Amino acid sequence: MSDIKNTIAARAAQELTDGQVINLGIGVPTLVANHVPPGVDVVIHSENGAVGVGPAPDALCSDPDRGNAGGAPITLIAGGSYFDSATSFGMIRGGHVDMTFLGTLQVDGEGNIASYEIPGKLVAGMGGAMDLLAGAKTVNVLTEHCSKDGSSKLVEKCTFPLTGAGEADVIITERALFRRHVDKGFVLEEVARGYTVDDIKACTDMDYTVSDAVKLNAYGLEE
Amino acid sequence: MPKNKVVSLEEAMSHIESGMTVAVGGFLSQGDPLTLIHGLKDTDVKDLTMISCTGGFRDRGIVELVKLGKVRKLIASHIGTTPDVVKAYHAGELEVELIPQGTLAEQMRSGGAGLGGFLTPTGLGTVVAENKQHIEVNGRTYLLEKALRADVSLVRAHDGDTWGNLRYRGTASNYNPVCAVCSDYTIAEVEYLYSPGEIAPESVHTPGLYVKAVVRADLHYRGSSLSAC
Repeated sequence: MSDIKNTIAARAAQELTDGQVINLGIGVPTLVANHVPPGVDVVIHSENGAVGVGPAPDALCSDPDRGNAGGAPITLIAGGSYFDSATSFGMIRGGHVDMTFLGTLQVDGEGNIASYEIPGKLVAGMGGAMDLLAGAKTVNVLTEHCSKDGSSKLVEKCTFPLTGAGEADVIITERALFRRHVDKGFVLEEVARGYTVDDIKACTDMDYTVSDAVKLNAYGLEE
Repeated sequence: MPKNKVVSLEEAMSHIESGMTVAVGGFLSQGDPLTLIHGLKDTDVKDLTMISCTGGFRDRGIVELVKLGKVRKLIASHIGTTPDVVKAYHAGELEVELIPQGTLAEQMRSGGAGLGGFLTPTGLGTVVAENKQHIEVNGRTYLLEKALRADVSLVRAHDGDTWGNLRYRGTASNYNPVCAVCSDYTIAEVEYLYSPGEIAPESVHTPGLYVKAVVRADLHYRGSSLSAC
């Protein structure tokens, strides 16, 4: 399980470029911080009101006035700052956050993302996700390819309430990477170790095309 | 403007009546005005509409008022961290209106700033956009979101002076500054109380003119102890 999560997070971290301001959602996206490539320096924004988030403190050093959007204790790197929620979401909507990473329940070929509610079952609220999808310049969706029941999370069309319409730019699973192009929708660009292009076809309900230069064994666990 | 706004918790609570709309600062217990929430628990007030980003964290915060049946409606962004709030909603005991986090902050800010609302791209193409006016500006579509105002606001600050000037600490700022401005009567609980002038004017986050009453925070109602880090 953790291998799947780290496989996704490690590939996602390869999307980072030096100097970016990024926001990491709860769950697998949080792990991206552990895989930032050498030589790449990014600044982490937390939507509850911090920029320049550093490593988690050890338990004895945690402080109730210094937490992230999941409520976990944080530290700041030198130069980081704290601010209120109106300012924080102004940063997000205003295009000052370059890249966001979030998990999802469903994502479809039009870039629609449904991540916050299963009607009648899971009613938690959208939190900051709608603002992040609308405002971040690039949206990376990190998800396991299939649900526990084996059905594809990359669906033909989202059936749960949308968090964002047409906002997904990159989808990264433990099996494949799809990138959305303006003219041709999602393109399968990379297949992880242990899978073939046909394997991906068999477990993906979303519309996509296969790149002429699709990379096999592009990432994932070493044999 | 009175220069000494420090009152007892009971005196502050006497300004809250049944049926009122009460806005509350804080986020997942970071910066939640837990002293004031506990003060409210001890009153007979009920039928409240509450505006807050979250329902609190686990069993602390607004969820405590929900469990006592004091809240009719909660306007919030995320209630997933307070299972008892979700339970009350599913049981039909609590009305919940969910709003994107940034939109909620801006609605409160606008409410305090004399604006009728604002235009945002957040929520386009989702249920949030249903029955809302879509307005195009410079070729881009936005939703018209209306301002929110409350009768009373409850906020928490690390530092405050007797005039009601407030300074927040760390991520406990969050919704407190917008909450402090969006109502007719703002009550602030402060952890450290100073004389006017002791908080440098440049360091004041919420000027005292927004604050009507100052209450000493009961440090019992705080998260884990402060650290030297």
